[in-house]
Amino acid sequence: MTDPSYPDALPAQHRLHWYVLERVLGQGGFGITYLARDTNLDQQVAIKEYLPVDVATRRPDASVRSRTEDQGERYRWGLDRFIREARTLARFDHPNIVRVLSVFEHNNTAYMVMRFEEGENLAALLERRRTLPEDELMRIVLPILDGLELVHNAGFIHRDIKPDNIHIRADGSPVLLDFGSARHSMGHARTVTILVAPGYAPFEQYYSSGENQGPWTDLYSLGATCYRAISGISPMDAITRSKGILGSTREILVPAVTIGSGRYSAGLLKAIDRALAFSEKERPQSIAEWRRELADAAAPVPRAAPATMSVTPATAPGPLAPNPAPAPAPPIRGPVIWATLGAVVAAVVVVAVLLWQQSPRPPTIDPAFTKLQDDYKRSEEARRKLEEQRKKEADDAATRQLGDKQKHEADLRAKAEQEKKLADERARRELEAKKNADAAKAQRDAEAKKKADTGRTEAPALVVVAPPAPPAAPPKAAEPDLIKQAEEARKRGNDAESLALLRKAADQGNAKAQFALGDMFSAGRGVPQSNFQSYVWFARAARAGHADAKARQDQVKATLQPAEIQHAEKLLR
Amino acid sequence: MNRLPRISLARVRAASLAALVVFCGGCPTNPIKVRDAILEVNETFRVQYESILAQQGTRVFPVRPDKALPGVRAALFQLGMHMESQDLGLGYLSFASPAPRPLNMQEWGQVAQADLPMMREIAARHVGLVPSWFISFEPEGLEIVLNATVLPAAAGSEISLTMRMRQVTPPPSGIPRREYAPPTGVRMGLDKIWGQIERELGVKSHSP
Repeated sequence: MTDPSYPDALPAQHRLHWYVLERVLGQGGFGITYLARDTNLDQQVAIKEYLPVDVATRRPDASVRSRTEDQGERYRWGLDRFIREARTLARFDHPNIVRVLSVFEHNNTAYMVMRFEEGENLAALLERRRTLPEDELMRIVLPILDGLELVHNAGFIHRDIKPDNIHIRADGSPVLLDFGSARHSMGHARTVTILVAPGYAPFEQYYSSGENQGPWTDLYSLGATCYRAISGISPMDAITRSKGILGSTREILVPAVTIGSGRYSAGLLKAIDRALAFSEKERPQSIAEWRRELADAAAPVPRAAPATMSVTPATAPGPLAPNPAPAPAPPIRGPVIWATLGAVVAAVVVVAVLLWQQSPRPPTIDPAFTKLQDDYKRSEEARRKLEEQRKKEADDAATRQLGDKQKHEADLRAKAEQEKKLADERARRELEAKKNADAAKAQRDAEAKKKADTGRTEAPALVVVAPPAPPAAPPKAAEPDLIKQAEEARKRGNDAESLALLRKAADQGNAKAQFALGDMFSAGRGVPQSNFQSYVWFARAARAGHADAKARQDQVKATLQPAEIQHAEKLLR
Repeated sequence: MNRLPRISLARVRAASLAALVVFCGGCPTNPIKVRDAILEVNETFRVQYESILAQQGTRVFPVRPDKALPGVRAALFQLGMHMESQDLGLGYLSFASPAPRPLNMQEWGQVAQADLPMMREIAARHVGLVPSWFISFEPEGLEIVLNATVLPAAAGSEISLTMRMRQVTPPPSGIPRREYAPPTGVRMGLDKIWGQIERELGVKSHSP
């Protein structure tokens, strides 16, 4: 039977050659991964099926077909890349890289068979423990770096490093999973960005043009993973970082050196910040470079088993550099203009010098020129001051953001304590009510017995029953519960769950949840920043009677185009 | 003695003219004037953008919204745009891409040919003729952001689009950002998107 959570997946017990599918392990935009049993070797394996949902669909006969004829070529091209990459990945034999065992074509698609690794992924571990101490983090990161270096040296980039793709075996050793083989196999006209992990993917990865991607792309993701492990929260996604606060592009990510200060070595925090540099040129350019920074930073940390790696020479090298989509032409106009200007200026200077030498008149400096020079100096000075001011504002914003976060966490803690007190009080009252009810029942029973004993009919005795305890929860308990759960999920760093819970409450008409959604979209907290969606949710909250929503709605309205407001209002009808 | 100054004067005049042109072109322009120029360009483009949107911004497709939404998404992916945000319950999708997408460089060239003279004319009013020649029409550092809303309509689904530019790199010295795309670019972009959605959904659309 097909798992209802994965309608495109093959059903359990489906047979692919000698592999029998057991269940779905996960689904991404380009494929489904199953847990299966290899009936020949009697062992469990993970099998990844190529199924790019945007261009292909499952048929009733289990085959995968492109959605339209137009998409057929792209589907086939992606499929070829999937197979080629699986073959190349199978050459890697490294303890910290998932082992590819086989690849085969079936059902008009392809399947990559990988060793199934028992254990827990880093995302789950972080969900449970929130942060990791430095030595434990290093025991995960350094072996992954070893494996990744092998991959980079072979011309590959992982492009999807995140806590979900780092598996921690029972012995504590890490293994890097999911090389997202098909992730960059669509190329051509489509972008890869729908599949990037927000928070873990650098800005350059949001576009299909791959010429500026390299080891530094994976290092950003590793840096982000470390950031998550030291702070308990994922870094904001690169798109949000690019937009900055209120439309400015200044840096808004609280640096690791601030967020982890006092708990981790300064060197480690600095290395994380370097890896998380927004511009790819400011990041370490190779694994070796970053490893050196980490080594400089860290106290001696036991490394995992040395990388006994081997790479089988490829018969046909298959570097998987993405096929860049048509990108804007390089900016050649500026240099050409300036080169021309330079040449003209030089010529003018030479001519002027010659003329000056020939002229019997003493040389004079044109006052207009002096004025222009002064203007230029003033302009440069103003620019420098503005730069300084911008930098200061960015620092202030970072400090403010950290302060806000700490305040928010303190609020949540206080709220949780208050809720616990309420729950205790509720339990106490319920217990009391039960006691009273039991006492009343005992009294009634005694009266009845007495009546039966005397055999006489008497006027009913007045039974004193304690007033019922107040209801355990207000009638609208379900909605506050959702909000409470959403807050807890957010505290755990699970923004997706928090969003889903808030959304559920908001759809039930809860103004507080609607306001919270407006706030999340406005700040880009846990969601991609969107003034449009922020406007819609603030408007809904205002209509549901939230006191502060109208002001926030008006604030966001100022950032929207009239047409956007008109469309948002249509959606609100 | 008389001959030399005559020749020199002619050379001085020519050299001074060249130097003036070069210097005025390359010299820093007053930021306030640049700001005013950009504000006027934004305002002019905004007025034209709204007029274009009123005519071409909404189309009705004879398909249900649950079919239209993936169609819009697939069409914009095909045009090289990436999805930033979506709320299928609401009927909202948001896409972005580095400019000039969804147009290609050849189409961008056509946009420049049509709209650059207007931009220069506006800029020249504020910064002067020569600096206005150096106005950049390059797409670098700009992103195109598209919002799509899909609503149920009597005849199927009403799809509306909005388009804006987003300047990725901060402008210097508090100069305002360019927000509205050039009108010819908006027109061509909308035509291209509607055509792609029609192909993706396999139906023809009409104005509401």
